[in-house]
Amino acid sequence: MNPFVGATERELAGAVADWAKGLAGRIPAAEKEGALPRDVIADLGRLGVLGMTIPEAAGGLGASGVGFALVLEELSAAWPSLAVGVAVNSGIVAGSIVRHATVEQRQRWLPKLMDGSGLGAFALTEPTSGSDAASLRTAARREGGGWRIDGQKQFITNARYAPFAIVLARVGELDPKRTAAGITAFVVPLDAPGVSVGRPERKLGLRASDTSAIVMDGATIGADAVLGEVGKGFAIAMSGLDGGRIGIAAQSVGIARRALELARAYAKERRQFGRPIADFEGLRFSIAKAESDLAASRLLALRAAWLRDRGRPFTREAAMAKLYASEMAQRATHAAVQILGGNGYMRDYAVERYARDGRATTIYEGTSEIQRIVIARSLLAA
Amino acid sequence: MKILIPLKQVPDSTVRVKVGPDGKSIVTEGITWSISPYDEYAIEMALERKDADASTVVAVVTVGPARSRDALRQALAMGCDEASLVTADATTPLGVARALAKVVEETKPDLVLCGKQASDDDQGFVGPALAELLGWPHVATITKVVPVEGGVELWREVEGGHEVWKAALPALATVHKSEKEPRYPSLPGIMKAKKKDIPERAIGALGVDASGPSWTILSMEPPAARGGGKILKDGDSKQIAEQLATALRDEAKVL
Repeated sequence: MNPFVGATERELAGAVADWAKGLAGRIPAAEKEGALPRDVIADLGRLGVLGMTIPEAAGGLGASGVGFALVLEELSAAWPSLAVGVAVNSGIVAGSIVRHATVEQRQRWLPKLMDGSGLGAFALTEPTSGSDAASLRTAARREGGGWRIDGQKQFITNARYAPFAIVLARVGELDPKRTAAGITAFVVPLDAPGVSVGRPERKLGLRASDTSAIVMDGATIGADAVLGEVGKGFAIAMSGLDGGRIGIAAQSVGIARRALELARAYAKERRQFGRPIADFEGLRFSIAKAESDLAASRLLALRAAWLRDRGRPFTREAAMAKLYASEMAQRATHAAVQILGGNGYMRDYAVERYARDGRATTIYEGTSEIQRIVIARSLLAA
Repeated sequence: MKILIPLKQVPDSTVRVKVGPDGKSIVTEGITWSISPYDEYAIEMALERKDADASTVVAVVTVGPARSRDALRQALAMGCDEASLVTADATTPLGVARALAKVVEETKPDLVLCGKQASDDDQGFVGPALAELLGWPHVATITKVVPVEGGVELWREVEGGHEVWKAALPALATVHKSEKEPRYPSLPGIMKAKKKDIPERAIGALGVDASGPSWTILSMEPPAARGGGKILKDGDSKQIAEQLATALRDEAKVL
């Protein structure tokens, strides 16, 4: 039982957890192949998971942020590679369209995020701009009644599955004193002329999740592709990332939870020195500490989501949740590997995968270092 | 077409059933309850008809304790249109069938699909008894229903093939399996189900005779603990094979 969580939200998460139990048999092959099965994405569309953050009036479920966080926890516990794809599609991409798009843009793009035909992408990072996102170089200029975009986006989740990406590009020259100026968000269909997807990155973990470059070489898009206002894109990206961080916190919680569940089950079965290793205090203390940190992380994530659902400021709380939960996930998954010992290091037991998959959580949607900057800035402002 | 599915809420198949201190019942505290699996197949079968023809109305009903409402809610979340609850804490199987017959008379479905048996007591009684009370044709353990001119075709799996029966409507069939696995409730389905009213009546209000032949459980006990396995390791593979054959024949008596 958790505060911040209502009966409906619990029920939605429970339904997703039930569905996700059927995924286990699909995971090893998909992780090896490095691709999410399209029928699983289609099923998520049919189940209404992909549209859960989209308002009812736009054909979605209109579920709360708390509900979405719980669903992401369940999906991450079941299959982290799948959860990250959903987090991006239904979190930052759908959220940015819902909050900033025109009526026409919503009608055109939101159905594609819900119908299970693909997963949307958010393209901010570039080869030379990661944490310093505002220094991005992708350039957009008006041409022939529409826009022409040139530049390269890197490490883009879902690029291969995406019907479109929200691309952050600069309109006008870079002003070194005001780097965020001119940055504009565009909705770029992946089948637009001049757009191509690079080869999939080979990653430590989350291998079934697609991470690829999106290359725009004279990409031609319509005048109606601007999301929000020209020059206001950086604020769209930053507010999107605030929400995305709750998603990463929820993912971290799901990953850590399942790794610890597997470790607990193993510790009760595995016998050494004539008794289950769960009888040894060193291991019991490890589990007790890890579960306490896990519970704290979940509460931080739910608190941030709860504040957001009520329209209250949540930037600091989301950064705290993301920082604490992602760091917790490192400790928890490594503790789980340690509890399984040699078996924990082997691919036959899933905990090594959770340890690899969880590693990304302190990096994407803002590194732990960036979260500390965000938290400190909000605490020490004025 | 209107299809009615009488369903039963049973302990979930993942529950580790424990015998209670009275030795005559199971411990029900804290266990997870679900729709009986064969009833889920019946629901899926009906919903597949609805997928094919949107004018199909799928209704569910249960005769059972108040907690059974959750099973009805689950059926609504899967996509059923209507649900109603007849509360009865303890009744005879024939009493359940009589209460269901009353509901059938009131709601007038064209087809009643029952799971072939409930997974808790495995009696397989209510479906055929209901057909008998209604005076309806009854086909047992079907795997497929196909609407045809003048009624329905009901398919049954038999050794090496299928039997296809035709029934005029109204008719009752008990379901062995659906073509697809029962669907998971969609999230919008769950939200819609929450808004639907589930009318509730006590069995006494139906004016049916709830008595009938009954049985009493004298005692329940868990299956005996399995003996330890045996590892054959002395000798070469031929000798081990011989020992194994001997053990399977003389000890396990399976050869």
